[in-house]
Amino acid sequence: MAAELSARADGPAARLPAAPAPPSAFRNFWSSFGEGKGAVLGLAIVAFVALLAIFAPLVAPHSPIEQFRDAVKAPPVWQDGGSWRYVLGTDGVGRDMLSRLIYGARVSLFIGLSVMCVSFVVGVVLGLASAYFGGVVDVLITRLMDRIMSVPDLVLAILAVAVLGPSLVNTIVAVTIVYVPRYVRLVRGSALAELDKDYVMAAKVAGVGPLRLMLSTILPNCLAPLIVQAALGLSDAILEAAALGFLGLGAQPPTPEWGAMLADSREFIRSQPWIVTFPGLAILITVVSINLLGDGLRDAFDPKMRRG
Amino acid sequence: MIRFFLSRLALTIPTFVALTFLTFVAIRLVPGDPVEVRVGEHGISPERLAMFRHQLGLDQPVWRQFTDYGWGLLHGDFGTSLSTSGKVLTEFLTLFPATVELSACAMLFAIVLGIPMGVFAAVKRGTWADQALMGLSVTGYSMPIFWWGLLLIMLVAEQWHLTPVSGRIDLIRFDYDTPTGFMLIDSLLSDEPGAFLDALHHLVLPTIVLGTIPLAVVARMTRSSMLEVLSEDYVRTARAKGLSPFRVVGVHALRNALIPVTTVIGLMIGSLLAGAVLTETIFSWPGVGHYLIEAISRRDYPALQGGIMLVSTVVILVNLLVDVAYGVVNPRIRHGR
Repeated sequence: MAAELSARADGPAARLPAAPAPPSAFRNFWSSFGEGKGAVLGLAIVAFVALLAIFAPLVAPHSPIEQFRDAVKAPPVWQDGGSWRYVLGTDGVGRDMLSRLIYGARVSLFIGLSVMCVSFVVGVVLGLASAYFGGVVDVLITRLMDRIMSVPDLVLAILAVAVLGPSLVNTIVAVTIVYVPRYVRLVRGSALAELDKDYVMAAKVAGVGPLRLMLSTILPNCLAPLIVQAALGLSDAILEAAALGFLGLGAQPPTPEWGAMLADSREFIRSQPWIVTFPGLAILITVVSINLLGDGLRDAFDPKMRRG
Repeated sequence: MIRFFLSRLALTIPTFVALTFLTFVAIRLVPGDPVEVRVGEHGISPERLAMFRHQLGLDQPVWRQFTDYGWGLLHGDFGTSLSTSGKVLTEFLTLFPATVELSACAMLFAIVLGIPMGVFAAVKRGTWADQALMGLSVTGYSMPIFWWGLLLIMLVAEQWHLTPVSGRIDLIRFDYDTPTGFMLIDSLLSDEPGAFLDALHHLVLPTIVLGTIPLAVVARMTRSSMLEVLSEDYVRTARAKGLSPFRVVGVHALRNALIPVTTVIGLMIGSLLAGAVLTETIFSWPGVGHYLIEAISRRDYPALQGGIMLVSTVVILVNLLVDVAYGVVNPRIRHGR
C-alpha cells in the first residue's frame, strides 16, 4: 500500500521537475509510520483480529456457546486424541475453543472501542470546556478528575461493577470511568497551549463563536496526542475488561469473553493446559499489536522522535 | 520546607472528602435493601425491620448518615465486616503487610532487572539485542498478568515442581508467631530452620507476576532517558577526557538518566496495588487485594467500602510522600508557584 501511494504521488512530480510538490501530510506520516517494523506488524495483526471479529459467524467453525457433550475437554488437533473438528480443542463443557476465541475478539474489541469512543467524546467535551471557560468550571473538572485518578484503576473499576452489577455494558461503564480522566487532562493541556497562540487570537478577532473556535479551530491541533492516547487506551481498556472478566465481574457466561474464559480455568491447569493457554494468548497478541501500533503512531506524530 | 509539606498535606483533604462521598454514595447505590443485605433475612416483620434500621442508623436522614460515616472514619472506624463481624481496619492491618511484602519484592525485581536492561539497550541502540529487549518490554507491558500467573503456575509449579503453587509459607511444616506480619522477617526471627527459604520460595512466582509490568516500564523508561542523556555535551566531555566507557555510562550518564525513572517508579505504586488484587487472587496470597475480592463474592459491602477507602488512603499518602520527596530533592518544585 505504501508503494502504491508513493507511486501515485510521484507520478506528476516526475513530469514537472521544476516544482516538486511537497509530500502530503498523510504521505509524510505514512512514511514515518512505515519506518517502524513493529508498527506495521502491529497494524497487520490488529487488522487481522478486526476482520476475524467482523466476520466471526463466517469464520468460526462452530457456535461459541453450543456444548458438544460427546467432546468435552477434547485436546487440540496436534495432540493425541485431537481432531480437525475442534482445531484448538474444547473447554470444560465441550464448547469449541477456536470459535469462542474468534467470537471473543468481537467482545473484546467491542468493549475496547466503546470505551475508547465514549471516553474520547467525554474527554474532548470536558477538556475543552475546562480549558476554554477556566475559573470554577476548570477547577471543578480538574479536581474531579484528580480524585478519580487517586483511586487505583482496577479497584475503582471493581467498585463501579460492585455497584452496577456485573455485565458487559457495566464493564464498559466501569472501564470508561477509569480512563476518562486521562483524555480530559490531555485535551485540557493541549487546548491550553493552543489558546495562547496567535491564530486563535486571530480567529477570535475575526468574530468566530466559542463553539466553532473550540471544535474547528483548536481541536484539530490537539488531535495528534489524542489519537495516540486513544490507540494506547484501547489496549489498556481491553486488558482492564479482561481482568474484570477474569475476576467474574465482567461479561457473564456464556459470553465468550477472553478474560471470563480464564475465570474458572484453574482446575484445568494440570490436565487440560490448552483451556488455560489460548484465551490468554489471544489477549496478549491483541494487546501487544495494538501497543506496537500506538507506539508507531506516536513516533510518526512526534517530530522530535522522528529519526531521533 | 514545613510550609511546603503542610500545603501538600492540605491538598489531600478535599481528596479524602470526595473519596468518602464516593464510597458512601456507591455503597448506597447497590441494588437491594441494605437491611436485608446486612441482616440476611427475607420477609422479616416490620417491627424487626424498624429495629435493625434504627440499629444501623438507616432511619436517620441521608446527610446525617454521611456525617456519621465521616465521623466514624475520622475515629478510625472503617465499618464492620458482615461475614466475620470483625472491624475492617483491624482485618486490613493484619493483611496489609502481606501486600506490602509482595509489592516491595515486585518493585525490587523490576528495578534490579529493569535498569540494567534499559542501560544495555540504550548503549547497544539499534542492534538486535536492543530490539529483542524492547520487544520483550512491549510484551511485558501488554501482559494480562492473571494469565501470566496461571501460565507460570502451570509450568513452573505444576510441571517442573520448582516452586509452590500458592500461599505465603508451608503451613503444615512451619508454625510460628508472626509479630510483624512480614513473612521474610518473621521467619528469620523464628527458630524454625528452613522457614526463611520456604517463605522466599513462595514469593518467587508472585513477585515475577506482579513485577512484570513495572519491569517493562522501568526498562523502557531507562532506555529512553539514557538515550537522551548520552547525547548531552557533558557525556561527550567525559568521553573526551578519556574516562572508561563503563564510568561514562555507569556513573556520569546513569545518575542523570535515573531522575525520570524514579518519577515513574513513584507513580507506579498505585497501579502496583491494583495489580496486587489480581496477583493475590491467583496465588491465594492473603493480602488486601484478596480481601477485596472475597468481600465482593460474599456481598460483604461494608468490608468492600472500608477496604477501598483504606487502599485509596494508602495510595494518596504514598503519592503525598513521593511528592514531598521531590520537593526535598529538587528545590525548584518546592518554590515553584
